[in-house]
Amino acid sequence: MTVAVVGSGLAGFTAYQTLRRKLDPEEIAVFGTGDDPVAAWRPRAEAIRQREMRSESDGHCLPTSFPGLAFRSVVSRRSMRPLVDTVRDRYHPTVDEFLAHVEELRERSGWERSVRETKIEHVRAVDGGFELDGHGVFRHVLLAPGHPGLNVPDELRSDPRVVHAYEPHEYPPTVTVVGAGLAAATEWLNALAAGSEVVSVRRREPERRPLNVPREYFSRRGLASFHALGPEERGARLHSLLAASYPPGEQFDRPLRRAQREGRFRVESSVNGSRQVICATGFLRGFRHDALLARLVDEYSLDIADEWIVLAPDATVPSLTDETRTLALAGVPAQWAFPAADTLAGAKYVAHGFLRKVQACRTR
Amino acid sequence: MSYTLRGRLESRLAALLPVVAAACALALAQHRWWPVEAVGLMLGIGLVLDVQAYHRLLPYQPGWAAVPLGLVELALLLLCMRLGGIAAPPAQALALFAGGWLVAQFLGHAGFPLLRLGYAEDGGELGRLGAVSAVAVAVTLAGAGATAYALLPPVVHLSAGVHQGPLVITHREVLVGAPGAIVRGGIVIRAGGVTVKNVSVVGGDDGILVNGVSNTTLDGVSVSGAKLDGIHVRFGTVHIKNCSIDMLGNPYGQGIDVSYTMEYGMNMIDGCTIVGGMDGITTHVSMTDIAHNHVSRTTMRAISMTEMSMGMIDQNEVRDALGVGIWCNDRSVCDVQRNTVVDTRRDPSGDQSRRGIGVLASFQSQAYLWKNELAANPLPSGALVNSEVFSRP
Repeated sequence: MTVAVVGSGLAGFTAYQTLRRKLDPEEIAVFGTGDDPVAAWRPRAEAIRQREMRSESDGHCLPTSFPGLAFRSVVSRRSMRPLVDTVRDRYHPTVDEFLAHVEELRERSGWERSVRETKIEHVRAVDGGFELDGHGVFRHVLLAPGHPGLNVPDELRSDPRVVHAYEPHEYPPTVTVVGAGLAAATEWLNALAAGSEVVSVRRREPERRPLNVPREYFSRRGLASFHALGPEERGARLHSLLAASYPPGEQFDRPLRRAQREGRFRVESSVNGSRQVICATGFLRGFRHDALLARLVDEYSLDIADEWIVLAPDATVPSLTDETRTLALAGVPAQWAFPAADTLAGAKYVAHGFLRKVQACRTR
Repeated sequence: MSYTLRGRLESRLAALLPVVAAACALALAQHRWWPVEAVGLMLGIGLVLDVQAYHRLLPYQPGWAAVPLGLVELALLLLCMRLGGIAAPPAQALALFAGGWLVAQFLGHAGFPLLRLGYAEDGGELGRLGAVSAVAVAVTLAGAGATAYALLPPVVHLSAGVHQGPLVITHREVLVGAPGAIVRGGIVIRAGGVTVKNVSVVGGDDGILVNGVSNTTLDGVSVSGAKLDGIHVRFGTVHIKNCSIDMLGNPYGQGIDVSYTMEYGMNMIDGCTIVGGMDGITTHVSMTDIAHNHVSRTTMRAISMTEMSMGMIDQNEVRDALGVGIWCNDRSVCDVQRNTVVDTRRDPSGDQSRRGIGVLASFQSQAYLWKNELAANPLPSGALVNSEVFSRP
């Protein structure tokens, strides 16, 4: 066995689907804490009562963008509407449709045959590959460790009213939501729908855009210039691209306008006396929060820039990748190569590059 | 999709490959070049728009944009075909374009992504397939162009001066007259695909006789002194443009007579000036468009469309015709629009059907009139024997 994926979440699962185009399940080892690829994602989606994906028809785990989830929805909904909507960029699969898609892929791809329920804590570069915590040497390794943890602002950490948006919670009569991204926007609507009075606390006005980053950054069109930036500029660009945002549209604006008119929604600059404070502040950022990555950087003196590990455009670690072996990152640590790396499109981007490396290796 | 420029070009070229193949097949089947010319234009227009407009204006192109962009490209294609004189059957040309558009959509959304894993993230770039497609399209179109060039008919120059006729053309050729080139005794065309350009014909039974051959073009010819007809066409197709025919002194001949060509296709008579003769322009059992002609001083009818003929009589100027200006007769269907018919004279014979009628439909015919100027005619329009004249607002 020469190929290993460390991480059994959605990024690892998506990479696995791509690898399966050329490799059998027995040729791929997936190391993770469980064999359910949405084990981490699903509770978060449930916590914020997410009903629709932000991604569009191609927000799935298959290796190719076609057929997208809109086709699947045409069948399940018995309507052509999903196809019409996808032409207009208005189609978003429901969470249930996405989960069903993952389940179907999981069953038919042989995922369980490849998963080893082991948490890898140390990757050691050796001749002709990488040794993974005594589980063998693999020529090509993809690290998809996932988000390192939930982010709660320091000043709120000891506040007993605080709950993170991605943790289970209900909505008391007065709620303060900290943050300005999609999770925050979803929580505004959830709390309003539950009859709460909502205060939005945010440092800046949220960006309104359909996807996590501008669309051109999902293709070489925007990536070519992004990859050409120097480390400082690229870091600054990443900070700007990854600023909190949520999609434009009346589905958010109409209820917020109505609540504002009724005096049930307002924006403030700091947390006030609400009975509950929901931190929709995303995840901890930076490789330092991930023990595996931090150790890798320290042991091999990897190039870093700000909070990111410096990667090649195909998300491989340059100093540990050559014609005979590959070490690549997927998911949020791959943002240096692909700003939307923590999306399904990002997972696919990394997976495609990784598969190319595997195929190009003569000693595979 | 956020295309890179290279991605746009490669995707367009690869998607055009099946269309180029279809166009070549169509050209072979029809023995006509318009499909290949149209596809060449489609490619040229598309590439120019890609480089000059789409790449700059559309950093991201949503799926729905394919519809308006397709319509823009179609409009430009039709305009270029018109300007370039590429005559194509409208329905087939539209079908070719629509087919190409559908193929491009199918390949762009399904075919290419399945073929190439990173199609979307590569901005539409196709790698080796893109380069191969570009070469294939270029080679095919260049090959078609070379073939077309090799098949061009030879050009024969007729020097200035009088050449004794009748001049009989038995091979496909382009006969071009120098200024002052005159053929005395008529021209007889006995081969298909012949073009006669800028030649004056004096005398002959028929000035120019086209019989049993198709795709004849008469461009800028002049005829005078013909004993029978100025231009006489039977059992073939002809495109007559910018001609000048003098039939004065010939009370029974026709300026242009195109007859029994229905099964061979459309004819066109455009921009001619005809003076005198019995009928200025007449068609029998034919499909003919008669446009932008000046016809005057005829002794029976200026323009007649008869014997189950059909076609358009459009923007002609008819003056001083004896009896009838424009005649739609004998189960014919005529679109008569934007013509000027003035000063039609009453036939002294007393025949009621020739009492100076601007537009006449007779014997189970239908004439559809629109925006004609019918002035100084004893009767502007009329219908006889189960015929109808419909006036559209």
